[in-house]
Amino acid sequence: MFKKKSLILIFAILLIMSLVTACGQKAQEPAQKEEVKEQVKEKVKEKDITLIVPNTPGKGMDTYARMIVPYIEKHYPGAKITVKNIVGAGGVIGINQLWQSKPDGLTFAFTSFPSVLLAELSGSEGVQFEATKFTYLGRAATEPRVFAVGGKSEFNSIEDLAKAGRPIKFPSQGMDEDFFTAAVMAESMGFELNQITGYEGNADTALAVIKGEGDGHITALGDADPMIKAGDKKPLLMFAPERVAEYPDVPTALEVTTGEGQNFMKVITNMLEVHRSFFGPPGMDPEVTREFRAAVAKALADPELIDKAAKANNPITFMEGERLQQKVDEIAATAEKIKGTLAKALADIK
Amino acid sequence: MLTASWHGLQALLDPTSMLFMSIGVLFGVLIGILPGLGGIAAMALILPFSLSLDPVAALAMLLGAHVATIFGSSITSILFNIPGASKSIALCFDGYPMTQKGEGARALGAAAMASLIGGLIGAIFLTLTLPLMKAIMMALGPPEYFVMALWGLSVIALFSSGSLLKGLTAAGFGLLLSFVGMDPVSATSRYTFGTLFLMDGLDFAVVVIGLFAISEMIKLYITGGSIVKEQKTSEMGNVWTGVRDVFIHWKLVLRSSLLGLFIGALPGVGASIGGIAAYGMAAQTSKTKESFGTGNIEGVIAPEATNAANEGGGLVPTLGFGIPGGESMAILLSAFIVMGITPGRDMLENHMDLVFSIVWIIVVANILTTIGGLLLAKHLVKITTLPSSILIPVLLPVCLVGSYAIKGRIGDVLVAVIFGFIGYIMDKYKYSRADMAIGMVLGLMLERYMHISIKLYGNLFFVTRPVTLILLLVVLSTLFFPFIRSFFSKKQTVDESGVQ
Repeated sequence: MFKKKSLILIFAILLIMSLVTACGQKAQEPAQKEEVKEQVKEKVKEKDITLIVPNTPGKGMDTYARMIVPYIEKHYPGAKITVKNIVGAGGVIGINQLWQSKPDGLTFAFTSFPSVLLAELSGSEGVQFEATKFTYLGRAATEPRVFAVGGKSEFNSIEDLAKAGRPIKFPSQGMDEDFFTAAVMAESMGFELNQITGYEGNADTALAVIKGEGDGHITALGDADPMIKAGDKKPLLMFAPERVAEYPDVPTALEVTTGEGQNFMKVITNMLEVHRSFFGPPGMDPEVTREFRAAVAKALADPELIDKAAKANNPITFMEGERLQQKVDEIAATAEKIKGTLAKALADIK
Repeated sequence: MLTASWHGLQALLDPTSMLFMSIGVLFGVLIGILPGLGGIAAMALILPFSLSLDPVAALAMLLGAHVATIFGSSITSILFNIPGASKSIALCFDGYPMTQKGEGARALGAAAMASLIGGLIGAIFLTLTLPLMKAIMMALGPPEYFVMALWGLSVIALFSSGSLLKGLTAAGFGLLLSFVGMDPVSATSRYTFGTLFLMDGLDFAVVVIGLFAISEMIKLYITGGSIVKEQKTSEMGNVWTGVRDVFIHWKLVLRSSLLGLFIGALPGVGASIGGIAAYGMAAQTSKTKESFGTGNIEGVIAPEATNAANEGGGLVPTLGFGIPGGESMAILLSAFIVMGITPGRDMLENHMDLVFSIVWIIVVANILTTIGGLLLAKHLVKITTLPSSILIPVLLPVCLVGSYAIKGRIGDVLVAVIFGFIGYIMDKYKYSRADMAIGMVLGLMLERYMHISIKLYGNLFFVTRPVTLILLLVVLSTLFFPFIRSFFSKKQTVDESGVQ
């Protein structure tokens, strides 16, 4: 009798556990359906909003989104936001869903703008959207990206690359913003590039550069910083609108290029600057857009959030929705220029 | 060095740290039991709770959870043929047959003990050889990873004793499946039939749940009865027999642990390969090779010890350069940064006590897990004696929920079910599912590192790099060993019959 009881107990625990995990991960889903029902009933005051995050739960982008969401709720009266991670095809599936959703202010997204734009420009499979047509609501964060070589590398400045007389080995994951940035960089500065695609992630390319397998790679300054300080890497170029205070001797991509090359780097710099942003479907109602932008602005200026973000090493660098939209429009006008380079970079690895 | 180690231990023995580690361990075992979810999921889920704790307590909770998932995953692999995480897949090869023979408790006991000793050896050798491991990590690159993947592939010869052709077919099928989705080198989509779902490829963990667990449910449904086919009440079904087995095979444990540490130190060589490589090594060096795959205790001990030691190895790139040695280490790294600790040279020079705390955490968490495991094993095994009419309705939903939870995609549930049927058919017609799983794990790794090597060092990279060449020769010799062996044993039987 007793044995039977303990068996039943074990089963009960197993079942509860699987339920808890399933709910914990995707508690949003059943709630979602109820929301739709409520919308039909036109409960106008309660706004059930879905935030699409086309990135893996628990990783950088998702952490940022979930950190900020409570503060948007706080400053947007009536808003109840559910984060929905729609992963797949490098985020294309999630962004497609945003593109198709109604511009009623009840669906918006948060992710890296460069990867959305580049997916479109490079003609990635399955893309249905036009990145610059979305309604931009505000930037949460951006950080400089750095081109760094290994600590023992023969190169000490960006000019050395052009003088090398051989293709520069660039370990890469392929198809991400750093892959395309490198292609445009090589084109604008006139050095030969050998993109070695197939590395599994940023950690792998970083190690390849430290070991000397590859010459250099592009990564977020925050990631590279400790390795630079330890002498394992040397920074040669920054992708930022102006020099980074901490590294006053490292030039920006805009400084070392001229003419058409500089125009290319402008597109890239602008694009990287938009980085982690909130955006809604195209053609959102101007009134709703204004309200939404104001809420995002207040949320991202909330001292409590800024403090929390700094502690978690996910700093906020806010840019107002309207200015962001202007930046995106600028990018839209010039982005066509780099399309050829992107196509060539892709053709090179095929 | 010794004082730093002592300080590290002192910081850990604080009651708060111990409490949070116990919570982490408990949580880790539970997550490990759920199919598909492993150490990464456990750490990601527990990370938000750890950030407000002081560094040692937070690390104790995170690493405790991570370490405990290994044994948690092994429990379900051994008892139900459900790999709790993809790296414990090798535990299914012999652990589950042992359960079927009524030796489930023995297998669990052996796994718990092997996990403990593997973890200890991994941690101790990590401390002693950190500079050496760092040097090895720096010396080996993509060409060597490629050869190691090739070596892993040679393990399929072990499972193909029935028919080599069937073994190769299964492995080839696995390789083919690994190529579904976006090609990592040329960014071309393959075998996706125009769907976005297949562009991310087939998730290994999902396929394995279908291939092993769901197919087993189908089989159980058709044959009826319970998992345990024959009851052994005597010594063989005892937990302590398993514990003793580990000490009898201490050489194997030592070898497997060092292998695990070595593989863990190489970022880019996945942990799932560690278990398979250890299994292959155990089979090749065993005196009872023939019984591998039918419930050989050595086939349980080796992968478990390797998996446990792997954790220590994963810390080498994390501590040495601040580069995560795996996905779980990436989460640990983000925890470090929040705590204001910069991994890398700074940590090794200024926070040596914390480094030792980490090593001690692995040790103590392993001890806690093993004690819990040994106490629980006897009761857990009873589940396997239940009739299939009770077992299937309970386990099947757990498998399906697990395949959904991995990525939160409903399509994955369908994939798991399809592979359940494929697995059942393969098993029925004696195509090794293990071979297929190995092909699938290694496919992308082979492709990835072959392309990178060719681009970096030219088409003849395996000749021009001495280290690669030596490794390749070793692999080739182990590859032909079974053939030579069977050739000689055939000759011998012919001779014997000739004498008669």
